[in-house]
Amino acid sequence: MSERLADGVGVARAEHFESVAQQREAATLGIWAWLITELLLFSALFLVALITRIQHPEATVAAAKHLKFWIGATNTVVLICSSLTMSMAIEFSRMGWQRAMVRAMLATAALGGLFLVLKGYEYYADWDEHMMPFLSNRPFALAETPAARLFVNLYYVATLLHALHLFTGIALLLGMTWMAAKAGFLARHQNWIEVYGLYWHFIDLVWILAFPILYVVNR
Amino acid sequence: MSASGSIGGTARREPHTPESTIGRKPDYLHAESTLRSWFLTTDHKRIALLYLASITGFFVIGAVAAGVVRLALIVPNGAIMTNDTYNKAFTIHGVVMVWFFLIPSIPATFGNFLIPLMIGAKDLAFPKLNLTSWYVFMAGALFTLVSVVLGGVDTGWTFYAPLSTAFSNTWVLPALIGVTIVGFSSILTGLNFVVTIHTMRAPGMTWFKLPIFVWAHYATSLIFLLATPVITTALILLIAERAFHIGVFDPAYGGDPVLFQHLFWFYSHPAVYIMVLPGMGVISEIVPAFAQKKLFGYRFVAYASIGLASVTFFVWGHHMFVNGQSDLASLVFSALSFAVAVPSAVKVYNWTATIHKGALRLDTPMLYAMGYIGLFVLGGLTGLYLATLAINQHIHATYFVVAHFHYIMVGGTVLAFLGGLHFWWPKFTGRMYSEPWGRVSALLIFLGFNVTFFPQFILGYLGMPRRYATYPAEFQLLNVLSSAGATILAAGYLFPMLYLVYSLWFGRKAPANPWNAKGLEWETSSPPPTHNFLSPPEVPRIPYDYPIQAQESRDQHG
Ligand code: HEM
Ligand SMILES: [Cu+2]
Repeated sequence: MSERLADGVGVARAEHFESVAQQREAATLGIWAWLITELLLFSALFLVALITRIQHPEATVAAAKHLKFWIGATNTVVLICSSLTMSMAIEFSRMGWQRAMVRAMLATAALGGLFLVLKGYEYYADWDEHMMPFLSNRPFALAETPAARLFVNLYYVATLLHALHLFTGIALLLGMTWMAAKAGFLARHQNWIEVYGLYWHFIDLVWILAFPILYVVNR
Repeated sequence: MSASGSIGGTARREPHTPESTIGRKPDYLHAESTLRSWFLTTDHKRIALLYLASITGFFVIGAVAAGVVRLALIVPNGAIMTNDTYNKAFTIHGVVMVWFFLIPSIPATFGNFLIPLMIGAKDLAFPKLNLTSWYVFMAGALFTLVSVVLGGVDTGWTFYAPLSTAFSNTWVLPALIGVTIVGFSSILTGLNFVVTIHTMRAPGMTWFKLPIFVWAHYATSLIFLLATPVITTALILLIAERAFHIGVFDPAYGGDPVLFQHLFWFYSHPAVYIMVLPGMGVISEIVPAFAQKKLFGYRFVAYASIGLASVTFFVWGHHMFVNGQSDLASLVFSALSFAVAVPSAVKVYNWTATIHKGALRLDTPMLYAMGYIGLFVLGGLTGLYLATLAINQHIHATYFVVAHFHYIMVGGTVLAFLGGLHFWWPKFTGRMYSEPWGRVSALLIFLGFNVTFFPQFILGYLGMPRRYATYPAEFQLLNVLSSAGATILAAGYLFPMLYLVYSLWFGRKAPANPWNAKGLEWETSSPPPTHNFLSPPEVPRIPYDYPIQAQESRDQHG
C-alpha cells in the first residue's frame, strides 16, 4: 500500500510495525475499541436513567420538565456543527491543505467551548431553580419525590461526565492543532487527525444519546 | 554503565556464558542499564518486569493482611484485636489481592512479555500506551494504599453501598478513587492486547495456530474492555455519592442499593474470569510441554476460552440470590451459572487427556499445573453447590463461599501464576532456578493451601458466617487448623521469592529452550534481544507440534 495520500501527506512507520498499512489498521482498531469502552461507561448510566423512568414515570417527567430543553437542543446543534468542522479538518488533512485543516480544528474547539459555556449557564439556571438536590443549603424543588431526586442526580453525573470528556477533548484538540500547524506534520502523522476525529464524533454521539434520554423522552 | 552490555563486559562477569551467546548483540535486559532506561522503557518485556516487581510487592502486602486475619481468628472471642482492626485487615487483604494482584497478575506480566513473542511480533501495537498503563496502575494502587496509611478502610473489597457511601467512617474515598484509576490501566492493557493479536501476527500465524495462552488473553482482554467500564461507572457513582451526596444507591436519596450490586457484579463476576482465563492459558502451555504431547482438542480449548468469556456476562445474579431479586431472575441466573461449568470442564478434560499417555516429566512448573487442576476442579464443583438455589440459602455468606473462591482464585490463579513464573523464568531472566527447591515449594504450597482452606468448607457448612471477628467457640479447632495451614502456605510462598532472586545472580545460564517446548517464544534466545527475534521466526506447521501426537486425526474436525 502506498504510504502517500497526496503531496506531503502520509504516515511515518514506527519501528515495531512491519508496514504502514499495519500501523494504520492498529490505530483504527485501537480507537474503536476505546470508543466501545467509553460507550459502555455511559450506557450504564443511561440504562439506569431509563429504568428509573420506567419505574417512576410521574416523578421523572416532573424532574425532566425542569431541564432546559432549549439549551439542550441548542447544544445538540452546536455539537453536530462541531462534528461537521472536524470532518472538514479530516478532509483537508487528506488533501494536504494544512492551513484550512488548522482552521477547521480551531473552529471545532471553539464550538466545543461554546457547548461548555451553554452547559455552564444551564447548571446556573438549575441552581437558581433549586434543582440541585445534593446541596444542603438549597432545598430541592421536588423534595417530596425521591425518584425525581434520583433522576436529577443521574442527570448531573451523566452530563458532568460528558462535559469532562468534552473538556479533555478540547484540550487534546488544541494540543494537536499546535503540533499540526508545524511544517511537515501531515507527512508524518496524518492518521492522528483521523483517529482523533473518531473520538470527537464519539463525544458528539454520546450527547445525541443523552439528549433524548434525559430531556425528551416522555416529555 | 553502558559498557556492561558490551561483549567483553558480559564475558567477564559470566564465567558460564554459553559459547553461542558470545558475540551476540546484548539482550533486552542488558541493552541499557540506566534507571531511566527502565522507567521510560517501551519494550513490552521490560514493562512486564516492572509489573512483575510491583504485583509481587502488592502480593506481599495482601499476604501480610491475610496473616493478620488468620491471626485474629485463632481465638473465638476477638481477644487479639478489635473488631475495627479486623475489618480493616480483611478489607485491605481483599482490595489488594483482587484489584492489585489477581486481576493484573498474569495478563500484565506474562501476557505483556509473551504475547508479542508468541505471535512473532516485535512489540505490542502501542508500546507507549503500555508504559502509560503501568504508571496508571501504580498511581491508582498507591492512591488506594494512602487510605491504609491514613487509617484504613472497613467496607470489604466489594464496597457495598450504603455502607461505603454513608455509614463507614473510614478512608473509603481514596480507596475508591484508586480502584477506579486502576480500572483504566486494565482497559488499556486489554485494548493493547486485542489490537496486537488482531494486527501484529507474523505472516502465517493464523488464528488457529495461536497458542492457547494467546487465545485466553484474547478472551480476557474482551472482558477487560466490556466489563471494566461498567465497574468504572459504578465506582464513579459511589464516589459522587460519598463525596457530594449525589445519590443513586442510598435509599435516603431515592436510590437503590441493589442497583449497586447489579453494576458491581456485572463486572466482578466476569472479573473472576479475568483471573482464571489467563491461568488456564498458562496451564495449557505447561501441560503439553511436560507431557511432550500435543494439546488434546486444541480447537475446543480455544472455543472454550471465548465461550467462558461470553457466558460469564450472564451469571452475575448468582451473587444476589438472597438479596431480594425476583425468583424468576434467580432461577435464570442459577441455570446460567451451571452453564459456566461446561466450558470449564472442557478445559479440564483436555488437560487430563493431554497428560494421559504422555511422556510425563514432573518438574516444578508441571507440579504447579497439576496442583492447579486439582484445586480448580474442587473450586468449580463447589461453585455448583453455590449456584443451586436451595443450597445457596444455607451456605451463602458463610466460610463455604470463602473456601470456594479461594480454591478458584488462589488454587487456580496463584498456582498458575507460580507455574508460569517457573516455566518462563529462564526466558525472562536467562537463568535457571534450583529445581529441588522448586519442587519442595510447589508441594509445600499445595499442602499448605489445602490445610488452610479445606476446613473452611466445613466451617461454612456448619454455619460460620464470613466477615466477623468473633465466632462460637465450637468452631475454634477448625479455625486454628486453618491458621496453621496459612503458616505453611506462607513458607511455601517465601521459598520461590528467595531461590528465584538467588538465581538471578548465581543461577545456571539458561539455553533458549530448556524444556524442549514448542511455541515461538522458545525460538529466540533466553533472554530475548530487544526486538524479540534476530531473524523473523518460522511459524510452525501446527500448534503444539510435540513428538507425541495421539488424537491428531480427531482434532482435525474438532
Ligand atoms: C463453575 C464455575 C463457578 C460457579 C458456578 C460459581 C458460583 C458462585 C456463586 C453462586 C457464588 C455466590 C455465593 C454466595 O455469595 O452465596 C460465588 C461466589 C464467588 N465466586 Fe464463584 N463460581 C464459579 C467460578 C468462580 C471462579 C472461577 C472464581 C474466581 C476466579 C469465582 C470467584 C467467586 C468469588 C470471589 C465469590 C465471592 C463473592 C463475594 O461474595 O465476595 N467463582 N460463586
Ligand atoms: Cu459470580
